[in-house]
Amino acid sequence: MASAPGAFGRRLGVQRYLSLYGLLSGLLMVAGVIAVLFPIAWMVFASMRPLAETFGSPPAWIPRDITGDAYAKIFSDPRQLRYQLNTYIISFSTAILSVGLGALAAYGFSRFRIWGAEFILLTIMALQMLPGVSIIIPFYNLARSAGVWNTYLGMIMADTVFALAISIWLLKSYIDSIPTDLEEAATVDGCNRLQALYKIVLPLLAPGLVGTGTFAFLYAWNDFVFATILRNGHELMPMTVAIGNFFTQANRDWNAIMALNTMATLPLIAIFVFLQRWVIEGMTAGALKE
Amino acid sequence: MTEARSSPSLAVQNHDDKGPSPQPARRRWMWPRQATGYVMIAPAIIFLLMVIIYPLFEVLRLSFYEFTGLRDQQSSFVGLKNFFTLMDDRIYWISMKNTMIFVLATVVLHALIGLLFALALHQDWPSNRLRNLVRGLLILPWLFSMAAAGLVWALLLNALGPINYLLVSAGILERAMDFLGDKDTALWGLIVINVWKSYPFYMIMLLGGLQTIPPDLYAAAKVDGADRWQRFAFVTLPMMRSILVATTAIDFITTFGVFDLVRTLTNGGPARSTITLGYYTWLVGFRDVDFGYGAAISVSMLIIMSVAMFFYLRLGREAIYG
Repeated sequence: MASAPGAFGRRLGVQRYLSLYGLLSGLLMVAGVIAVLFPIAWMVFASMRPLAETFGSPPAWIPRDITGDAYAKIFSDPRQLRYQLNTYIISFSTAILSVGLGALAAYGFSRFRIWGAEFILLTIMALQMLPGVSIIIPFYNLARSAGVWNTYLGMIMADTVFALAISIWLLKSYIDSIPTDLEEAATVDGCNRLQALYKIVLPLLAPGLVGTGTFAFLYAWNDFVFATILRNGHELMPMTVAIGNFFTQANRDWNAIMALNTMATLPLIAIFVFLQRWVIEGMTAGALKE
Repeated sequence: MTEARSSPSLAVQNHDDKGPSPQPARRRWMWPRQATGYVMIAPAIIFLLMVIIYPLFEVLRLSFYEFTGLRDQQSSFVGLKNFFTLMDDRIYWISMKNTMIFVLATVVLHALIGLLFALALHQDWPSNRLRNLVRGLLILPWLFSMAAAGLVWALLLNALGPINYLLVSAGILERAMDFLGDKDTALWGLIVINVWKSYPFYMIMLLGGLQTIPPDLYAAAKVDGADRWQRFAFVTLPMMRSILVATTAIDFITTFGVFDLVRTLTNGGPARSTITLGYYTWLVGFRDVDFGYGAAISVSMLIIMSVAMFFYLRLGREAIYG
């Protein structure tokens, strides 16, 4: 029979791809890719063609009449543009804040002996797993009494605290891999600690910062819970909540919903195409060793 | 492990000093150098204490209080009263049942699909580029927000949608049905959506786990005459034990708080068939403005999640620290 998983069995030659096992897993992969791509394609199709094609019997599997009406409607509606702007503001701010705080803390954890470091790191990792919904009531009270309810800052802080744990973990493992010799050499050359961090570590850390920021960005972009309880009205509403509101309206405008949905998702797919490695590292942070 | 963590700091410790003095003036007592580390982690830690740890204690405190009045809220300490009310609350137990079905079905399907896909991706492929492309495509659903994934599937599961069309023309369904609008299928609709959106997490975690298994083990098992199934059962599964436990615990916890999907698609209906604990907390806290009772529901959720957390911290640590 054919090969074991992995590199093992490389000697066996091409015929192993023809085994039953290989055939079955090939079919599984084809089915998986279809199950992933079909809903995405259907979303994009529905956003740019008349409803009759989407809801026909049989539905048009390939779009026939292509129109940009739904997109034109969104781009001419200031409220819709506001939703998008809100999402971008919250996501960028969260990315910057959690990378800043995260890099500082990660450097501290990596280069200094911190009492109870392992315990602290595990605790914050465990805490960020908690679903936000289980602490919405004190969160709401806290935001109210701190005066950040119904502000960008409130939502940014909530998103940051949940993205921060992953940021610290990712950046710490990254800093761990930068040899300390470089900083030592710099200090011998007359740099102080902060200068060494700024001049030596930071440039080497740049890819790590981008990757970590990406992950925080994704988190804030897709947040729904905090955007539901920490704001009111349309002013600060991000896309996630706006799409949901669309849906609960009595007369569902599927074209517009799917256009907004597409615009809420395509930027993430674009980011993923360029920064795939980082997204995967973020997914596995705290549960895999590397 | 502790060794690895402390050695870099030790290495630095022997050398540099504060201040830009080119010649070492070592013996001068300055600010203790380890203190710099604490200063660096302080902002993040203070932030975490304020924004997560404090609310956790606060939710526990609130659960012992009763709030009355809408605008000017009065609160009074009532001890365990909220928890006794919980015991007799029919909607609470419906939410508990729905949440458990949702979580268990999701976790089992995630694990199954994630494992199968990870195994398929881990084999030798004719081309590595193709493998990476497929892996990338299979991660795509994970990028969607719950709300966005939910709406895509609301379109697919619509009575006039393509899934109904296929099921009816294949003769599986007699006539089209509104999956998310029917009390017998709505919860399962949400489960399907969550499985689609979140299985990539398992796939990636387990793929990472598979890559850490030394190929020698398979070679040795093969020499001993183990067939493919035996190699899976006696090499792969035991080696993956801790990563499976950690992943399942994380998935359990994150799925347990399901709120976005319910809020976006069904609002707990029809006939409370999709009301979950997370959604019920929100209803009680923010529609009825009953913070004490809402906090009690949260506390009951946190207790259940802490069991999963325990497994993550105990067994998952092996996966984390090797």
